[in-house]
Amino acid sequence: MDQPLESLPTSKVARAARFAKTGFKVGANYVQHYAKRAVGADSTTADLHQANAEELYGALSEMKGSVLKVAQMLAMEKNILPPAYAEQFRQAQYQTPPLSGPLVVKAFRDAFGRSPGELFDEFDPVARQAASIGQVHWAQLDGQALAVKVQYPGVAASIRSDIALVKPVALRVLGLKEETLRPYLAEVEARLVEETDYALELRRGQEVAEKCAHLPHLQFARYYPARSSARVLTMDWLPGQHLKEFMATEPSQEIRNQLGQALWDFYQFQLRELRQLHADPHPGNFLFSPEGGGTVGVLDFGCVKDVPATEQQQFLALLAPETLADPARLETLLAEAGVLRPTDAPTLRALYLRTLRQSLELIGRPFREATFDFGDPTYLQSLYALGDNLLQDDELRQQREPRGSAHFVYLNRTYVGLFSLLTDLGAVVRTEWRQVAV
Amino acid sequence: MDSIALKAAYLDFLRRHGHAPKTVFAFADAQGISEAEFYQHFASFAVLDRESWADFGRQAREKAAAEPVYQGYGSREKLLAFYYTLLEILKQNRSFAILTLGRSQRRQFAIVPTVLRLFEREFDHFVEELLRDGRVSGEVASRPILQEAYGRIFRRQLQFILLFFVRDESANFERTDAAVEKAVTLSFDLVGRNTLDSALDFGRFLLHKRM
Repeated sequence: MDQPLESLPTSKVARAARFAKTGFKVGANYVQHYAKRAVGADSTTADLHQANAEELYGALSEMKGSVLKVAQMLAMEKNILPPAYAEQFRQAQYQTPPLSGPLVVKAFRDAFGRSPGELFDEFDPVARQAASIGQVHWAQLDGQALAVKVQYPGVAASIRSDIALVKPVALRVLGLKEETLRPYLAEVEARLVEETDYALELRRGQEVAEKCAHLPHLQFARYYPARSSARVLTMDWLPGQHLKEFMATEPSQEIRNQLGQALWDFYQFQLRELRQLHADPHPGNFLFSPEGGGTVGVLDFGCVKDVPATEQQQFLALLAPETLADPARLETLLAEAGVLRPTDAPTLRALYLRTLRQSLELIGRPFREATFDFGDPTYLQSLYALGDNLLQDDELRQQREPRGSAHFVYLNRTYVGLFSLLTDLGAVVRTEWRQVAV
Repeated sequence: MDSIALKAAYLDFLRRHGHAPKTVFAFADAQGISEAEFYQHFASFAVLDRESWADFGRQAREKAAAEPVYQGYGSREKLLAFYYTLLEILKQNRSFAILTLGRSQRRQFAIVPTVLRLFEREFDHFVEELLRDGRVSGEVASRPILQEAYGRIFRRQLQFILLFFVRDESANFERTDAAVEKAVTLSFDLVGRNTLDSALDFGRFLLHKRM
């Protein structure tokens, strides 16, 4: 039943190249971004479906524990995904070249009964940026520069059918039972469908901006409901540059620290207080500027994950220093989280415990220390090494069942994305949790 | 009653009842005119169908050209604008479209439905003009023998899109929009200067080099 893992690029060079600071694509889904092979084609438009699909299968075949998943995603080897799936998904992809000018006009007429020229003082028909399932145009109204996101037609409809296409393959090749797979697929599908509703994104963007207004050095865009719909989203055009361009200006360590701090605090606040995560922290979703010693602009609230209280507690408990110090406590927590099962053979249980403890030590390190240097090259090396070891472990590769809550899929993705951003910034961050005065 | 009003009444009837009027007499009577008066304008319902389709084509071209941005469009965008505007009109007249084209068509039309004949003739002129402008601007490659076939290709594309629309079941017919976008983009990629032309050009050069 096991698929032999055929030869796919696994050289250290390929892996390192993926993390090279050059090669970030604005707006690209970060999963695809990190999984991009050194010799692979550059994509000018994000292919959310492919990226999310790969991530899903990554989750399914490697769901050996949420923290383990984090390590694997950082290493991000595509050969974790049985080649058969990759092929299947490639066929179900939604190819997205840019929308033509007339199609953009039509999208506006459908949504508002008027063309963009009538809604704005100025509107650039040529898109400036790609978004994950659409593109972004520059416009101007009453002297204010605006970003107008327009969605590709037919995306919402294709999500359900793409997932339906892929499900039988997953069941057959993975040898899973439907009940096991269903919650994971449902989770991913729900989030993808939400992403196609820009009206929802607008509301969320406004909510999060309001609740996080007190956090320093963060900037949120103002949204314009009168010029937004399910498929068109209008907001302020925030100043700043995407990560790659920003880093090319060689900002100082102080600025980078402040930026990293702002990001870290933002996510801590979301996880601990809001229980709502801006769950897609890839380079395309943030703008960086040296304003005020370093300001982060937050874009794209298409993927906001509500974290249930139980999963939040479990996640936080796993990251606490006491957990690592006490093996019995770790075991209990993992059993509660559904990662360890009473039916597991003792050797399997021991294997999971061992690998999870390893990963937890490494990945949880920023959470256990008061200050953490994300620019530390030895930390990054250890993460790579961990990823390598996990991949090489034959016993682990045999395990194909997903474990743990379906909610962890997006929780993990969030933290992987955040860590990667922070390591790229090379920021030194005060990671100790302290509540900022509202 | 003038022909425009008659056409409007006919389309309205189709929309409400989902089928053509049983007889010319019944229809004329319902409009308060005599059968003879009807025949002064149209010889049959089939003629009405043909003319309505042609009207849609004309309205689409006019409406698209009325957008201020239209003047700045290249040939590709003009054709796209035409299609999107046409589809907006067809959405208002979907019953008519389905009735006259037939939803049961499984594959491409084997023979062009006669109902589209007038529409297509005018469409041909439109495309010819677009391609001519395109050749002048450089958007369309000049290929002396091949380009005679282009008219046929774009007609095929039109039929494909109309059929797609008739069978489309997606919300707001978004899938037809996507089909238009991809089909027209592809066709203009093909008629534009591309690898084949470069290859031929290079080949010619090499041949001449000998002399």
